[in-house]
Amino acid sequence: MMTKEIPAIEMIDVSYRYPRSKKIVIKNLNLTVKQGEFLAVMGENGAGKSTLCQILNGIIPHSLHGKLSGKILVQGLDTQETPISVLSTKVGIVLDDPENQLFTTSVMSEVAFGPENLNVPVDEIRERIRWAIDVVGLTGFEDRMPTALSGGQKQRLVIAAALAMQPSILILDEATSQIDPLGVFEVLNLVKELNQKYGMTIVMATDQSEEVTRLVDRVIVLGDGEKVAEGTPREVFSDTQLFSRFMIRSPQVSQLGTRLKEAGHPLPVFPITIEEAQSGIIQILNGKKPSNPKTQAPSPKETPAVSTSDVIIHVENLDYVYQPQTVKAVEDVSFDIYRGEFVALIGQNGSGKTTVLKNMLGLLQPTKGKVIIAGLDTQVAPVADLARHVGFVLQNPDQQLFAETVEDEISFGPRNLGLDEETIKARVAEVLTLVGLEEKRQEFPPALPKGERAKVVIASALALDPEIIVLDEPTTGQDYKGCHQILQIAKKLNEMGRTIVFVTHHMALVTEYARRVIVMRGGHILVDSKTEDVFDQTELVLKAHIIPPQITTLSQSLPPELGLPRVALSVSDLANSILDRLGQAV
Amino acid sequence: MGSMVLYVPGKTFFHKLDPRAKIVFLVLVSTSIFTVRNIPLALIGLGVMIALWGLARLPWKILYGLLKTLVGIFIFLFIIQSIFYPGEQILVKPLIPSFIPLIGGSGKIAMEGINFAFLLIVRLLTMIILMPLVSMTTPVQNLALGLAKMGLPYHISFTITSALNMVPILQSEVSIIMDAQKLRAMRIYEKGKIMEKFKSYTALVTPLVIGAMRRAQSMAVAMDSRAFGAMKTRSYLQDIRLRWVDWAFITGTVAYSIGTIIVASILPRL
Repeated sequence: MMTKEIPAIEMIDVSYRYPRSKKIVIKNLNLTVKQGEFLAVMGENGAGKSTLCQILNGIIPHSLHGKLSGKILVQGLDTQETPISVLSTKVGIVLDDPENQLFTTSVMSEVAFGPENLNVPVDEIRERIRWAIDVVGLTGFEDRMPTALSGGQKQRLVIAAALAMQPSILILDEATSQIDPLGVFEVLNLVKELNQKYGMTIVMATDQSEEVTRLVDRVIVLGDGEKVAEGTPREVFSDTQLFSRFMIRSPQVSQLGTRLKEAGHPLPVFPITIEEAQSGIIQILNGKKPSNPKTQAPSPKETPAVSTSDVIIHVENLDYVYQPQTVKAVEDVSFDIYRGEFVALIGQNGSGKTTVLKNMLGLLQPTKGKVIIAGLDTQVAPVADLARHVGFVLQNPDQQLFAETVEDEISFGPRNLGLDEETIKARVAEVLTLVGLEEKRQEFPPALPKGERAKVVIASALALDPEIIVLDEPTTGQDYKGCHQILQIAKKLNEMGRTIVFVTHHMALVTEYARRVIVMRGGHILVDSKTEDVFDQTELVLKAHIIPPQITTLSQSLPPELGLPRVALSVSDLANSILDRLGQAV
Repeated sequence: MGSMVLYVPGKTFFHKLDPRAKIVFLVLVSTSIFTVRNIPLALIGLGVMIALWGLARLPWKILYGLLKTLVGIFIFLFIIQSIFYPGEQILVKPLIPSFIPLIGGSGKIAMEGINFAFLLIVRLLTMIILMPLVSMTTPVQNLALGLAKMGLPYHISFTITSALNMVPILQSEVSIIMDAQKLRAMRIYEKGKIMEKFKSYTALVTPLVIGAMRRAQSMAVAMDSRAFGAMKTRSYLQDIRLRWVDWAFITGTVAYSIGTIIVASILPRL
């Protein structure tokens, strides 16, 4: 099936511009991918990753026109001259949102869809279905409805559907960005197997650098449509300028390596894996006994005062059942959140996080138990009244933008409260400065880049001047820069005295920003404690299928006699402790 | 939230019917119901649909939900029809005296009007139950296959059936957008004047349309990369064959529809 002589993909001086657009999204790109190679494509949102993926499978120029120049050969076939019916048997693609890639009502018919379109004889289709479903591990699910599957299972089904077309190249365009960590784990393991066991060529657009290090042979970095860096994960992540120039998040251990190098204490080998960082740290700290045992305690974060007498969110024995089901989505959940806290609510999809949040806002009414927000009983107070106290930002910004300009969008809430125009104007100006969108006040919100759309939604919630801000997965689909900008805003608000509750699957953001973590599993609270205490309970965290940030795992793997914090929550946490120890030893 | 169109897996005879038999059923019954001008006959038609609903073991909750959402429209229709339908058997004297030009004499309620309104509602209900009866018992790909086998080009039948698939997605999108608006202190959905309500519905449109467009773009990429429409002919994993049950059902449907049309033309109106 595979010809070893020719490369799987060859791009020669490729440029592309979308129809009715002046911007060149891919600039003079040259790229060769060998048969069986695993390539990662990185770059911030808008750098051209998705466009590249669609050029590779022939969607550009066959379905999306625009101006394409240069030459693209896929398994030796020129994509501009080869029909989609042939290209689709060479390249399979998996996109981010599984919902948009499933068209039928059973797993089996979903896998059959592609081969049916190619007029493959029915007996052979059956054979291919059996094989593809077996490879992705969905045997036994043939008659299930795709809508009833978990996020990870859905993406595995999409992969099976692609495999049934028998491609030799598989493209994953942010395929793990919309699913929970357990799903990410399932999908990446499958992709690794396809690469190693079946010899498939993989091109994966992603920003998960830790996974990239573990899986791929080569990385290319796109910046503004150009290839700005290329090499093995080690070569690419060793470039300490990478982050500042192209907003690429290198693995946390590499970030640590960079920090130490800049401080004049480089590790013997620049680390890209936990093992390398671990042995490097042991080496440079070797023989330097901690002179002061007090450094053993984790450095407490400077926190604004939280008064434990001032309960602002009170949840008591909350049960919730989604009618007409009978299973409790949330069972016997109780917690108090105090004014000024910064809390992360984590757990897999379906663990009950969003259900709890919606009960907190009166969007759902408790089946049993009660919720009191800023003194208001959510079963009595209308949502619009609760909205004065709680700014709730839902997951997808696109479902929360109703107005024609950013300014109108932000005024929407205050107008509903019936505030006078003067006050509204002042509030709009205030929140625009807070989120840094002063320049965009006249723009059409849906046309802004994704990171800015999220900021408009946050600004709109802030315009109601709430004491509590609740963010439900605000970072889904955002790149590294976007994630941090959103949480920086939350941090600033917290420092101004607001209470923050957020849900996310990005554990590095949880440890870096949250001071308290509530872990949910199967509708129950599994742990509810200070961030460092939660991640100290390794077994419990694993039980909820939560993968701690790399830096935390690294700190836990270091021998205690080094006198470093047992649970490092951020790169700078650990870097500072190490530098501290080195300083003391001098 | 129960969807009123999405396939509900089941093993009843109605589920197992060939999609073509169900398409014939949908078309013939909805046509014949329009010829009915007689209340008892219309009620029989509605009764048959409800009986089929039970036979197909579809959730009664959904039927109840359907009625609940439509009750407003029905009341509106009832009032309008009873007031404006011309009739002899006057129950309520005209509200506006007949000496006023143009609008004089209107506002009366006649027995015929009430009867007509009732008939209209029964017929509408029958039609409304028909749709989910077919779409909830037939997987979309089988419906597409049925239409294709009946001669409709596959890309058209697939588009029609995909639209069905989109309904629950849009439903959930609408409820999320409405939640988002409530969270921005909007009260209209709880209580509010009709004009304001109308305005707030227009605020739904922007995010809904933009969301649908983004979704459509993604779906187009996914479909193209699975070779949708790439070949002139296409194979089908599922093989549908008209068995004797299907023929019996089609015969029954044809007999029932023709019978209805004939009886409707013989029986007196209303």
